[in-house]
Order: sequence, then C-alpha cells, then structure tokens
Amino acid sequence: MKLSSKIFTALILVFLFAPIVILLVFSFNASKSLSVMSGGSLYWYRELFRDAETLGAVRNTLVLAVSAALISTVMGTAASVGIHRLRSKAVRLGYEQVTNIPMINPDIITGISLMLMFVFVGRLFGAATSLNFWTMLIAHITFGVPYVILQVLPKLQQMDESLAEAAMDLGCTPLQAFFKVEIPEIMPGIVTGMIMAFTLSLDDFVISYFTSGNGFETLPIRIYNMTKKTVTPKMYALSTIIFFTILALLIMSNLIDTSAPGVARPMRRERTAEQKKRLRLAGGIGGVLAAGMIALMIIGAPDHPVLNVYNWGEYISDGSEDCFNTIRGFEQWYRENYGSEVEVNYTTFASNEDMYAKIASGAVSYDVIIPSDYMIARMRDEGMLLPLNFDNIPNYENIGESFRGLYYDPENQYTVPYTYSFVGVIWDAERVDEADTGDWDLMWNEKYKGDILQFNNSRDAFATAQYKLGLDVNDPDPENWSRALEELKTQQPLVKSYVMDEIYNMMESGEAAVASYYAGDYFTMLDAQAAGVDLRFYVPERTNYFIDAMCIPSCCQQKELAEAFINYMLEEEPAVANAEYIMYGCPNRVVYESEEYAEDMGEEAMEILYPNLDDFAEKYNRFAYRNLDPETLSLVNTLWEELKIN
Amino acid sequence: MRRKIIELKGITKAYDGETVLDHINLDIYDNEFVTLLGPSGCGKTTTLRIIAGFEQPDEGDVLFLGEDIASLPPYRRNVNTVFQRYALFPHLNVFENIAFPLRVKKVPGAEIEQKVTEMLRLVALPGFEKRSVTSLSGGQQQRVAIARALVSQPKVLLLDEPLAALDAKLRKDMQAELHKIQRASGITFIFVTHDQEEALSMSDTVVVMAEGLIQQIGTPTDIYNEPQNAFVADFIGESNIVSGVMLEDRKVKFHGQVFECVDEGFGKNEPVDVVVRPEDVDIVPEDRGQLRGVVTSVTFLGVHYEIIVDVQGFKWMIQTTDFCAVDSHIGLSIEPDAIQIMHKSKYSGMFGDYSSFSNEFDELSDAEEEE
Repeated sequence: MKLSSKIFTALILVFLFAPIVILLVFSFNASKSLSVMSGGSLYWYRELFRDAETLGAVRNTLVLAVSAALISTVMGTAASVGIHRLRSKAVRLGYEQVTNIPMINPDIITGISLMLMFVFVGRLFGAATSLNFWTMLIAHITFGVPYVILQVLPKLQQMDESLAEAAMDLGCTPLQAFFKVEIPEIMPGIVTGMIMAFTLSLDDFVISYFTSGNGFETLPIRIYNMTKKTVTPKMYALSTIIFFTILALLIMSNLIDTSAPGVARPMRRERTAEQKKRLRLAGGIGGVLAAGMIALMIIGAPDHPVLNVYNWGEYISDGSEDCFNTIRGFEQWYRENYGSEVEVNYTTFASNEDMYAKIASGAVSYDVIIPSDYMIARMRDEGMLLPLNFDNIPNYENIGESFRGLYYDPENQYTVPYTYSFVGVIWDAERVDEADTGDWDLMWNEKYKGDILQFNNSRDAFATAQYKLGLDVNDPDPENWSRALEELKTQQPLVKSYVMDEIYNMMESGEAAVASYYAGDYFTMLDAQAAGVDLRFYVPERTNYFIDAMCIPSCCQQKELAEAFINYMLEEEPAVANAEYIMYGCPNRVVYESEEYAEDMGEEAMEILYPNLDDFAEKYNRFAYRNLDPETLSLVNTLWEELKIN
Repeated sequence: MRRKIIELKGITKAYDGETVLDHINLDIYDNEFVTLLGPSGCGKTTTLRIIAGFEQPDEGDVLFLGEDIASLPPYRRNVNTVFQRYALFPHLNVFENIAFPLRVKKVPGAEIEQKVTEMLRLVALPGFEKRSVTSLSGGQQQRVAIARALVSQPKVLLLDEPLAALDAKLRKDMQAELHKIQRASGITFIFVTHDQEEALSMSDTVVVMAEGLIQQIGTPTDIYNEPQNAFVADFIGESNIVSGVMLEDRKVKFHGQVFECVDEGFGKNEPVDVVVRPEDVDIVPEDRGQLRGVVTSVTFLGVHYEIIVDVQGFKWMIQTTDFCAVDSHIGLSIEPDAIQIMHKSKYSGMFGDYSSFSNEFDELSDAEEEE
C-alpha cells in the first residue's frame, strides 16, 4: 500500500515535470536534432543571446509585462478598496462578480472583443492603424486587473476594520491612514496580485495575438510564428530561462505571502525581519525594473523612419549561428547609400491566413510582406497590394526568366519572388530499392507497407494521389477529388502515420523509410540523420511547386523605403545569406550562379534545388496549387474527414 | 472645583430611521473614570464613537473644554481610543506601534524613544520594544494598545469594551491595571462595557444606558444601592422587584404585608416598584417571617447558596449561607434599609421575578450580549 502510493506520487511527478526536464536537457544539446543528444553545450544559449530579434521580443514582452503589472496593480488595488468600502452588500457582490467575468471569459473572446473595440475606436478617430503597443498594454491591463482584485480584496476583508480608524484616531488623515496602515496590511495581496498580473502578461498569447499591432511582437507570438520551420533549440534555451525565472518569482511570492487569515487566532504568524527585508527587496527590484523599462521605452522611441516588415517565422537570415544579419545589413546599406537612418521593425506570422486576417482587419500597417503565391493572387484580386515601381528595384533584373509572368502576377506588377520550393519524395536508401524510386508509385508500394508517411493535411495528401493519377490538382470537379480519395484509401493500409512536423524525427531516426515533403526541409533531415539511415530525395515529374514573393500591401506607409528594402534583398550578400539560411530554392540569378553559394550548399543540394530551370514556369503554371473556391474546399475537407475516420 | 472636560448636549443619532441615541445629555469631568454601562444596542458604543469623531450626531452638540468639536475629524481631536480588538498594526513591532502617533506628528527620534520607554514602563511591558505585536498574548496586546493611545497625552482616553476578548482571570488583573494606569496618568477614561461587575469595580461614575437613553448616572454604590428604575435594579446585580404601594413616608405594602422602609417623598398610596437585593433577605422560621414561602430550588455557588422561594406565586431569589431543603417552608425577614423604593417606569413588571430563572439561561443571555 505504502509502496504503491509512493510509486503513484512518483508517476505524477514524472508526468508533471518530464516535459520540463526534456526541455532543459535539449537546451544543452550540442546539435539541432531532437532525437540525438550529442553532448552538452551552451551553444544554444549563446545563439539566443546573439539573436537580436528574439531578444527584442523578450524586451517587448518584459516592457509590456512590467508596465501592465504595475498599472493593473494600482488600478486593481484602488478598485478593491472602492469595492470593499461599498455600503450595500448587493452592490458589492455585484461588482465582485463583474470583475470576475474577464477571468472566466475565454481568452479568445476577450482578445477578439478588444481588437474590435480598438479598431472601432481607431476608425472613429480616423487613425490609419489602431493596434500598437498601447492597445496591447490596455488589453493586458484589462485581464490583469481582475487577478489583482482577486488577491487584494480578500486581504481587505480579512483586515480589522478598526485599523484605519485607529490610525486616524492617532493623528493620521484618512490618506495617511491608507498609506501608513492599510497598504502595509494588504501588501502581501498586492505583491501576489502584481506577480500574477506579471506572469499572466508574460505568457499571454491569445489576447496578445489579437491586439498586437505592427512592429510590436512579444515572445509567445514570435515562438508561435516559428512554425513554418521547426522551432530552433534556441527557444528551448529561452524557455528554460523563463521557466526558472517564473519559478523564482513564484518562490518569492510564496515567501512574501506569509500572513494567514487573521481569524480570531491569538498568535498570527509573525512576519520576520528577514521576510520584511525580502519584501522590500522585491519591491525595490520591481521598482527599478519598471523604471528602467519605461525609460527604455521612452528613450527607445526612434525619430527616424521605421520600416515594418512582416514575414514567416525563421524565414530570413537573422545573424544566428554566425550567419549574416539581413535586417541590420539593410539598415547599414541604407545608411551608406541614402545617407539617412532607417529602422526595420521585423515581425513574423505563422500562416498565410494569419497574415491575411491581420492585414484585412485594417488595424495594422506593414510595408513589406512575403506571402505565398495563392495568397498573393487573392490579395491582388481584392486590391490589397500596391503595384511596385521597378525603377526603385533595379536588382529585379537578377530574377530568373523562369520566375516571371507566373499566374499570380502575370504582368509582373506586384511581386518580386523570394523563394520557391517543391514537393518531392524522401527515401531511405538503406531500406528502399533504388529501382522502386522515381515517381509517386513508391508511396503506394506494398513492399514498404508500414514504412510510409503521408501528409497530415488534406491539400498536400490529395495532391500526391492526383499527381500519381495524372489529375489536375486545381480542378473543382467533385469526380476528380473522389478519385483521389479512392487512391488514398488504397494507400491507407500501407501508411505508418499521417504527419506534419513529426516527419523530421521519424525520418531522421529511421522509423519510417518513405515520405513526401518539401525540398528545403529534406536538407534539415539530412543534416540530422542517425547512423544507419541514408536519406535521398527525388522530384517526381508532376508535383507541387510554390513561390513566396515580396509584395507591398496597400496599408504601406512608406512605399519608397519598402522598395529600397526589396531591392536590397536582391543584392548578392543578403540574397545568398537568406538562401543558405532558408535552404529553399532561390529565383535570384546572383544566388544560383554564385560559386560560393554552390560550394556552401553542396552538389546534391544544388542538383535538387536547381534542376533544369528552363521549364520551371511551365511546370509551375501547370502543377502548382491555386486557390480553391469555398465549395471545393469544403468538399475536400469532407472527403478528408472520411479518409481519416477509417 | 471639578472641570467639565466633555459635555454632550441633546445628542441624537439614528441609523436607517432607527434611533440609537435619543437626546443624550452627559457631562464628563477631568481626571474621572466614567463607565458607560448597558446591554448591547443601548447606544453606549455610538456615544463613544461620537466623542472620538468617527460618527457625527444628527442633533446636539459635543463640547470639549467648552468648545464645540462636532465638525473636527478624529485626527484633530485630543481624544484617543483603545479598540475592542486593540487594532494594533501587525506590520509594526511593539515600539513602532506605540511610536506611531508620535511619528505622525513628526516628534524628534530621541523624544520618541524616551516617551515609548516611559509608556512601556507604565503598562508594565519593559523590554518588549522589538517584539512583533502578533506574538503577544491578548493581555499584552491590550497593554500595547493602551500605551499607544496614551503616548501622545490625550485629554481623554476612550475604551471600547477593551476587556471583552480576555479570559476571566486576565480580565480581573486588567481591571486593576486599568484603574492604576488611570490614576497614574491622570487622564479621563471613558470606558464602555456591558459587564456590570467591571463597571462597579473600576469606575468613579457609572452611566447606565438602555434603548438610547441614560437611565441613571451615579457612583457605583449609588447605582447599586439606590437604583432609580427596574431596569437599573435588574441590570446591576440581582434584584427582587415586586409591585407595591407606598402607604406613607417610610411605609410600603407588598405581598399584602406592610414593611418599614427608609424612603420618603412619594405620594400617598402611590404604586411603586420595591427592590430587595437577594443578599438582604434573612431566612427565619416560617412563623417568624414577614413573608412565607416554599423553597423551589437550591444552587450551591461556593460562598453561598442561591435559593428560589415561591411567595404567593412570585419567585424570590435569596442568597444565604444557610442551607434550606427544596420544598421546605420558610419565613423571610427584610430590614427597613434593605428596601429600595422606585417610581413606576416603563420597565416595571419586566424584571425582578425569578420564575423562569436558571443559571444556564442567565449565562446564555450574557453570551449573547457579548456578541
């Protein structure tokens, strides 16, 4: 009995803390792999502290959390005092309930409603952009205040009513009585409330996501946006640091909150001199931190133009792992060529749809965005893009002929292509016979039953079947889609699992032998493959090609600056750095004709990424995904559900 | 000549239309220990809070040394309060609690040190400076509260049932202590309590209050020996109160018997209330008694027995050192100076009959009053 309960306790602890321990261990991993631990190192911590963008997000998060916590604390305490002094019990209870609502309310509703309000008010006053640091601050205060009230109000209720009277009796004015006697008495509640408001603000994602404007990215949003690629181990290092910081705060708040409810107990727990010292210390640190943050913010406000760039997470060479920092590079290049200062405010998104929603809300303003082809087509149709002035982008001439006049921008008016990639088949040469490779049939080959991975996303999965059958991936005819479904059903018994990001581990470790995925991501797997795994890649004749291109949205505030940025991105140094960082194909001649680049990438990569590009445009226009109409999308989803239910 | 320090003139106070104080007039003199005594809800605490400045009277004047202070806030009155639950500041130690009013007034440090030390000696807590107030016993907290209230040398100290939270033994000690402190400091104490024993043992003057009215003001002996109405007689100690008729000066008739007494000045044949304290009734053989009755209950209380005697259907309480068995027939004899005659009042007939009396019941009602 005793032993079993001990085991049970141990199991609970393991469940609770195993993820943290894993995070901690892998933050010290010398390599990038999640499956292979290759020796302890502080590499990722060093990388973290070199990553100016992430550190900027950390700074933003802290500025926001500290300001929100301080203001919420003052407001929440004042509100608690007000509520506590209400004479009518019914009114008091009413107020208490009302202040509880934001805590019970799902974050998503709070977030959406706040965004709507900010946009509405912004429109009312004719502001071009209504979401910014201040809206986010207001949002964080909104959800922080109830938690402060939750902590402070009970302390007021526990407090002996006659304390304030005693102070006044002994010569204090009501205000003096409040600060000299009541505040010290409820201080543990105030401090706990402040710490809660701080930590809530620190890790809030949902509400921040809806209320953040351009150029102010907090850490949770930045991490979320890293999902185009996998999250880098830098983030493990950062998460480890945050975990221990919060833990320290928690311990501190527990040490401070020593005063138990004073229910007719003759001996209340005593607050020792040591605890008082800690309390003062905590207050001191908080004060200094807050003052510093606010000073930083005020001083940090730039007086030169700010260019807002909105891109996928981890989709630019950012100076990490000793690579070139494209953003700082542009600032310097601009200074040298134009003789004036510019600051790039670089923020990230996680999907085309997220980016679209943000811009369509009209509450933000970006100068340069880098969406994918089908989204460009949609935004162009909806008038959300500005035609580019190519006089300001002379480097456009470096864009390969194959990458011009594509369906999403047939007149070459709106876009400058940034990257392209395509889907191919990854296979493990140790387990797959080379004779079986070359086309989509490998994914349906009975010999590799249980070793095959298929996309866990309807469009990509259906496309593999459609390419195999020679169907058009953009044909809305339901017959087309049900034939593809039948093909996927035939494949189903052979499939080990339907995966997205899990593919990295399963292929690297040799758990699976056949999968289809994007070319650039194949190189990531290749880098991390375990011993006894020999990954190869080929591109079937018919497959999906996609392009991400730089555009200027109609909310742009400084078009010439944006065009200068686009032009700079086509210069050899940043373009090569980006291509090497992203490891997708690059449509820029100065890149794919660069010897240094070819050397860095290696022969195999060059062969895969840059096959004969002459027929790229033709293949692209034939096989690339286009936007599907809503009816077809819903049909695809229904059919996909049908497959997944089996 | 004694100096009036506080005068209440026609003070009226109502909460939500319910009158708590009804035209109270009260003079309090310098260096006096005054007790406001009454059951809960009688208005004694409200009176105290009006003097302290926490409440404003609806009508009437509060004079302090002849000056109207009705509009002065508490922090500008030269009056300090000791609260029922002490209201010590938990975040400050003993020294800082006592020093608090001096610090507010920005008294120099050295002077504070000296005054606090002096106060701690006065309340018999020397060496307690650095202790946390939350680590002190109830009695010690009480002393700190008194020291804190006295340190800025107010003219008047208000004490709101300060002993209610202490146990019986400590209470007795603190009563003596308070009395001593009052004498030593020479400050007027206004003490609120519902405990008549406390009131009698400490006070120079007792003010008995009920239902927002002052029932009687006097020295403890006056109040006890010459209660002015049935309420006072019953509230202060135990009393047998019977209806009688004043036949003429020094002759009263009750229970059909004529008794000698010492009271004069009542109207001829005026109906009156007659008070006889339980300890003033002598038990004699049945045939020699002025009254005759049957013993219905006997309780042994250590020093004496408390017996209930049925006299013509009215239950008398008698405290005696002689044992009488239940159901025995006894005679009662009362000396003339043991009889106190009172005018009829609204309280006539409400008190003084022990028909439904039991010790347990009495304790229960005491407990309720303490709430």
